Amino acid sequence: MADTAGAARPSRRVVITGLGAVSPVGIGADVFAAAVRAGVNGTAPIESFDASAFPRRKAGEVLDFEPADHLKRLDPPRWGRSGLLAAAAARLAVADAGIDEERLDTARAGAVMGTTSGESAVVQVLAEQWIEGGLASIDGELAGQTPASRIANAVSAELRLTGETQTIPTACSASNYALGYAYDLVRSGEAEVMLAGGADAVNRLTHAGFYALGAMAEDVPRPFAADRSGIVTGEGGAVLVLETYEHAAARGARMYAEILGYAANCDAAHMVHPDATSIAAGIRAAHEAAGVEPAQIDYICAHGTGTPTNDSTEVAAAREVFGDRIPPISSIKSMLGHTMGAASGFGAIACCKAFEQDFLPPTANVTEPDPALGEGVDCVPGVGREARLDIVQNHGFAFGGNNVITILGRVS
Amino acid sequence: MTTATATATATAGTTAVATAAPLYVTGAGVVSAAGYGLAPLGELLIEHGELEKSPVGEDAGAYPPRPVRAVHGFDVKAHLGRKGTKYLDRLTSFGLVACKEVLEGAEVSGGRTGVVLATNTGSVSTHSSLLYDTLTLEKPYLVNPGQFPNTVMNSTSGQIAIRNGLRGLNATVAGGQTASLLAFRHARLALGLGRAERLLVGGVEELSAPAAWAWHRTGVLREDAALGEGAAVFTVQQDPAEGALAELLACEVRFTPDPRQYAEGLANAVSRALDRSGVRPGEVSAVSLGAAHHRGLERIEERGVRAALGGELPRAVRVADVLGETYSASGALQLAALLALWQAEPPASPVTALVTSVGRDGNAAALVVRSPR
Repeated sequence: MADTAGAARPSRRVVITGLGAVSPVGIGADVFAAAVRAGVNGTAPIESFDASAFPRRKAGEVLDFEPADHLKRLDPPRWGRSGLLAAAAARLAVADAGIDEERLDTARAGAVMGTTSGESAVVQVLAEQWIEGGLASIDGELAGQTPASRIANAVSAELRLTGETQTIPTACSASNYALGYAYDLVRSGEAEVMLAGGADAVNRLTHAGFYALGAMAEDVPRPFAADRSGIVTGEGGAVLVLETYEHAAARGARMYAEILGYAANCDAAHMVHPDATSIAAGIRAAHEAAGVEPAQIDYICAHGTGTPTNDSTEVAAAREVFGDRIPPISSIKSMLGHTMGAASGFGAIACCKAFEQDFLPPTANVTEPDPALGEGVDCVPGVGREARLDIVQNHGFAFGGNNVITILGRVS
Repeated sequence: MTTATATATATAGTTAVATAAPLYVTGAGVVSAAGYGLAPLGELLIEHGELEKSPVGEDAGAYPPRPVRAVHGFDVKAHLGRKGTKYLDRLTSFGLVACKEVLEGAEVSGGRTGVVLATNTGSVSTHSSLLYDTLTLEKPYLVNPGQFPNTVMNSTSGQIAIRNGLRGLNATVAGGQTASLLAFRHARLALGLGRAERLLVGGVEELSAPAAWAWHRTGVLREDAALGEGAAVFTVQQDPAEGALAELLACEVRFTPDPRQYAEGLANAVSRALDRSGVRPGEVSAVSLGAAHHRGLERIEERGVRAALGGELPRAVRVADVLGETYSASGALQLAALLALWQAEPPASPVTALVTSVGRDGNAAALVVRSPR
């Protein structure tokens, strides 16, 4: 029996029919895909907080995000930035899926959203009030906006969903966890349609923490390059519409991809250092759950943070599973920055667009892979490359040793 | 798409929803103001005991004027030893101690055992002290790198995995007031699909002056309502087990966007949970309520339960009366309260009870529980 939480039971097929991206490289799945394919740099000087006293002052912010442009029901002042990013992405995803909002209720649709830092921008304002006027002075309405649960709640409130509404704060693998759990809900018959993804906001504490850990890039993220020096923090909302194949087919929906399976496991070894053997076990379990062999994988959408440790560990894990024939492996964090809880959601969106538009997403800011990673590492340097993909895998790893790997396939 | 197809699809979906097979609770680990384990909690509930109302810790003097049910005299080193406890915050320490208790004497298959833990914002004390540092230090980037990983919300479940060698599924679930019940639902699906053989499921919350002020300033709790803290973690599995503490039947959830319909939302979740458990409303002997002391929600919860059960409220257990408000851990402590009462006063024949929860944005959840056979 597999040493991880992959599962393969006869059940219904689950497809992805809608994509919503509110990202540092643009808003909307098509804009996002075009920017990713072109290797656009989405990082810029930080605007959301005063970063002047920091040695690194760049982040991947969604500078043109105006919640009111996207939301029909939520009153933006009553919700935190992460929830608003998620709700806006969900709106876009539902529109992209072409699904009638009224049908979401019949389909028992709900929202499962991942996050790393929850409503971090709200908490930051409260901390400023605390320092300014003492704890007794904090704004009660704002304090009520702090629970991470409000990210999925924002999606369900905006779209009037009555189904399962759950936020999964498993840090940087959270969107993949959310996709996996939503996939389980749909395939087991708990719902016909689910919205899944994740959201996070750029904030001061995350910026400070990654710097303190020595994990922050000097200028731009260069995943898999010899001179990679770390991450740049990012933000965004990434949401995908999942539904049963039957439900999608019955309404004549476009199907970007089928979720073939996933696996989640835990290193149970160290809070911040990833473990190649454990990640490899996770990949194998995901393959088993999806019923695929390593040789069938055409592309790996990497966790690829751009820290020296992550990237070498990730390649080592891939080598354990794929031997010397590692599929092309690239990191869209090179363009978005590390969008934390939204990261693997953006990864899944990139994979869906790659199926649709026949390309390999690139690793921007890189001309060649680090020779120390060994032979045969194709990180698709620079810009996207034309390729027809049939089966891909999407990585999400997190503090706490949480690994989640989703396997997506072209719909046949 | 025609209406006829829509109906057909919806019907097909409904039939796919299976009846809930029981999950077996084989162990319980509890840390609360009442003490450690189920026994002191049961005693407190039966005797309507009164606990100390003062806060603990370095920031005890900075709390708002409100009763607090803290875990007094807690020293993580006394439970876990010195090793590896330097950077543990109170939240993770509660979780680790509860898990130690629950795994005591149990054989653990690390690769097939996982964790599903409820939270809301992770450790407010760690998070707020690091935020304070980065906002007040001349060099704002000099936050403690040893503590920073504790600010992520899955820190406690990660530490539980590390300390106990649990390499399976490791999920953290946020759902406000309903978080613990969402964790049980998450666990049910995962076990049903074979993602794990056994899961540690529960919730944990810690008190701190910033968290207490956040509660106080929101004004959502009644004036005299106490704030609480603690953890309740249960080992849950599909395989029938001798001497199980309880059987968990269906756990159903509902989101209700319109505040005027919150009670109906909960009633819907309760009715579906009973239906999928094969339990008639009249068979429910007790309900462990979650919204005690919450302005507005308290009555909504009772109304929702009454509506689903046909008018009558069975014996009501309000664990928050003795332990205070424990937010994301409340559902787990509500379940602990039922188990503690059943241990203290074993029912003559198996009885069925409900654990319910409603949240401020419209989340509602209901779990059906059967006492040991």
